[in-house]
Amino acid sequence: MKRILSSLTDGRGFDITLVAVPLAFLFLLSGLPLLYNVLMSFQEVDMFSMGQLARPFVGFRNYVDLFSQPETFGILLNTAVFVLASIAGQFVLGFGLALFFGTQFPGASWLRGLFLVSWVMPGLVVGAIWNWILSGDYGVLNFLLTSTGLTDGNIYWRSDPSYSLWAVILANIWLGTSFNMILLSVGLSSIPRDLYEASELDGANVFQRFWTITLPMMRSTIGAVVALGLIFTLQQFDLFAAITDGGPNNSSNVAQYWAWDLSFRQYDFAKGATVSVIMIVFVMFASLVYVRSTRHEVRG
Amino acid sequence: MTIRKTLMAGAVALAGVSALAVAAHAEDTTITVWSLDKDIQPAPNLVKEFNDLDNGIHVEYREIQFDDVVSEAMRAYATGNAPDIIAIDNPNTAMFASRDAFLDLTDMIENSDVINADNYFPGPLASATWDGKYYAVPKATNTIALYYNKDMFRVHGLDPDQPPETWDELVETARTLTDPENNVYGLAFSAKANEEGTFQFLPWAQMGGATYDNINTEGAVEALATWKEIMDEKLASPDTLTNSQWNATATFNAGNAAMAISGPWEIDRMLADADFDWGVALLPVPEEGAERSSAMGDYNWAIFSSTKHPKEAFEVLEYFVSQDDTMFENYGQIPARSDIAIPPTGNALKDAALATFVEQLKYAKPRGPHPQWPKISKAIQDAIQATLTGQMDPQAALDQAAQKISAVPDR
Repeated sequence: MKRILSSLTDGRGFDITLVAVPLAFLFLLSGLPLLYNVLMSFQEVDMFSMGQLARPFVGFRNYVDLFSQPETFGILLNTAVFVLASIAGQFVLGFGLALFFGTQFPGASWLRGLFLVSWVMPGLVVGAIWNWILSGDYGVLNFLLTSTGLTDGNIYWRSDPSYSLWAVILANIWLGTSFNMILLSVGLSSIPRDLYEASELDGANVFQRFWTITLPMMRSTIGAVVALGLIFTLQQFDLFAAITDGGPNNSSNVAQYWAWDLSFRQYDFAKGATVSVIMIVFVMFASLVYVRSTRHEVRG
Repeated sequence: MTIRKTLMAGAVALAGVSALAVAAHAEDTTITVWSLDKDIQPAPNLVKEFNDLDNGIHVEYREIQFDDVVSEAMRAYATGNAPDIIAIDNPNTAMFASRDAFLDLTDMIENSDVINADNYFPGPLASATWDGKYYAVPKATNTIALYYNKDMFRVHGLDPDQPPETWDELVETARTLTDPENNVYGLAFSAKANEEGTFQFLPWAQMGGATYDNINTEGAVEALATWKEIMDEKLASPDTLTNSQWNATATFNAGNAAMAISGPWEIDRMLADADFDWGVALLPVPEEGAERSSAMGDYNWAIFSSTKHPKEAFEVLEYFVSQDDTMFENYGQIPARSDIAIPPTGNALKDAALATFVEQLKYAKPRGPHPQWPKISKAIQDAIQATLTGQMDPQAALDQAAQKISAVPDR
């Protein structure tokens, strides 16, 4: 008995406890809801059976119903476009800004700090502001575009089905860029300066240095930024609610907004859960790619 | 030892205090009321007044957020913690009533000296009804009508006392008043992909002879075709597809739209923002003499069937209803009753507008009642948006909506 107790404070028992406590937490707070979600997607759930576990089991009917709806394919495609374009935009702009502020010109660090304002603002506020910017008749963006002669008429960003998704993507890129920039700045600052000095002596130009030193050294940071970007863009809900409501005619609807709409507007919780399960499959696939891309990493 | 003594003394004192508190109200029955009303709105004030009566019933009030009313209520009901009384959005009443989550009030209303079903406008009353029985009492009501800018009418040689009365006249007037040079649209309304879109379109369909479970009538197709005509000719902003009613009316107030379809909740803002002469007209009809209709908003009071004190809860409701005649004066909301005259406010514009809204209320029809209203509403929104974006023609879109609606289960 005493040995077991003492191993809990120092030894194998201690190690196991260290692992078991967070695992138990993870299971309780993430695992169980996840399983519950999967269970719900195979049941018939409405608001009056929300409270009980035993509900009519319907097999794959929710999935079949969902995929036989005409809008489903478009919404899944929108989700993919939204995620890819948002991550690409946030990453490229964020990386560009991180490199720019990495040149350490006077005032660089506080200017960089100012950029974080966009990340601190709540999504609904950002959405409301972009709602005004993107307004077709009196929006700032249209004013800029027409007065500089880039377009000769107003573009109805929120209401034209060919632009509506891009309107939300634009706002989302603005929202996420500064977060990407900060993470990438941290990655950049951890690259030893002498590497650059040595390569410069060897005659490597700016692009060669970027390609052979910066990018490889940033590999894990980039992986983390992209993985986080995936999570944040798949969570992005406020901007849809504030700017387009998924309209017009579902042209800017995405899986995460749809899941909410099904659950909390149409009170069809089973369908909402089904959409989330489909999203889980996508996220699992993406995290697999992430894990594989960083497994050659040397951890120090 | 001393610590223990202090704790003991404290516990005894506490027990004494709570015993006193209990003694003071031992005979009181507690009724809980949930609504989304804030300090300046009816519910919390009525609760306070009721408690001041000190008649053996004590009411506890809880404010819930607009977006959470239904989900909070059903969670509470599912776990056995439902309040006694709740204020519920009128199209959601049937959802709870059909599952017997609300108390059948029919007999109580029949025997009541205060609540008389005949006093109510037919629309609000229908929204409180399910399967021929009363499951709720209308709390307040509102509807939509046509606001128009009289100054613009004069500038374009139109008679400001002759607002458009039919759909054709509305389109024609919008054509005359649309002025792209000056950023003026003829009409502002909302075709948004949420309940607001349904709220605005359904009256048009109903005037075209449609009901929610027969949405693809010839008249409804014509209504949707008229909307499309308005959009195609840019008589309304293309952003109508994503503008809320609040946003759409803002363009009217700013002088960027000559007419707007919206409700009485805009009157005060218009008085503050609009620096021109305006009026309100009844919603235009398909052709002269056609049946009128308009949408109907606002909440119903209902008692949960799980209540332990149905008699007392109904007494509380009776008190609320007895104060209906002060509702407009004190809180600016329109009581859902035809037997209460709206008192003059002293502002001619406002009084004239209210008179039109009260007239329009006679024709207001509820959404539903149907326990799965949100799904029906979604099908209608999809039809509107598919048509206005040019992806389907009105007939096909409404046919599809009708098909989706017929697949919605009855409960």
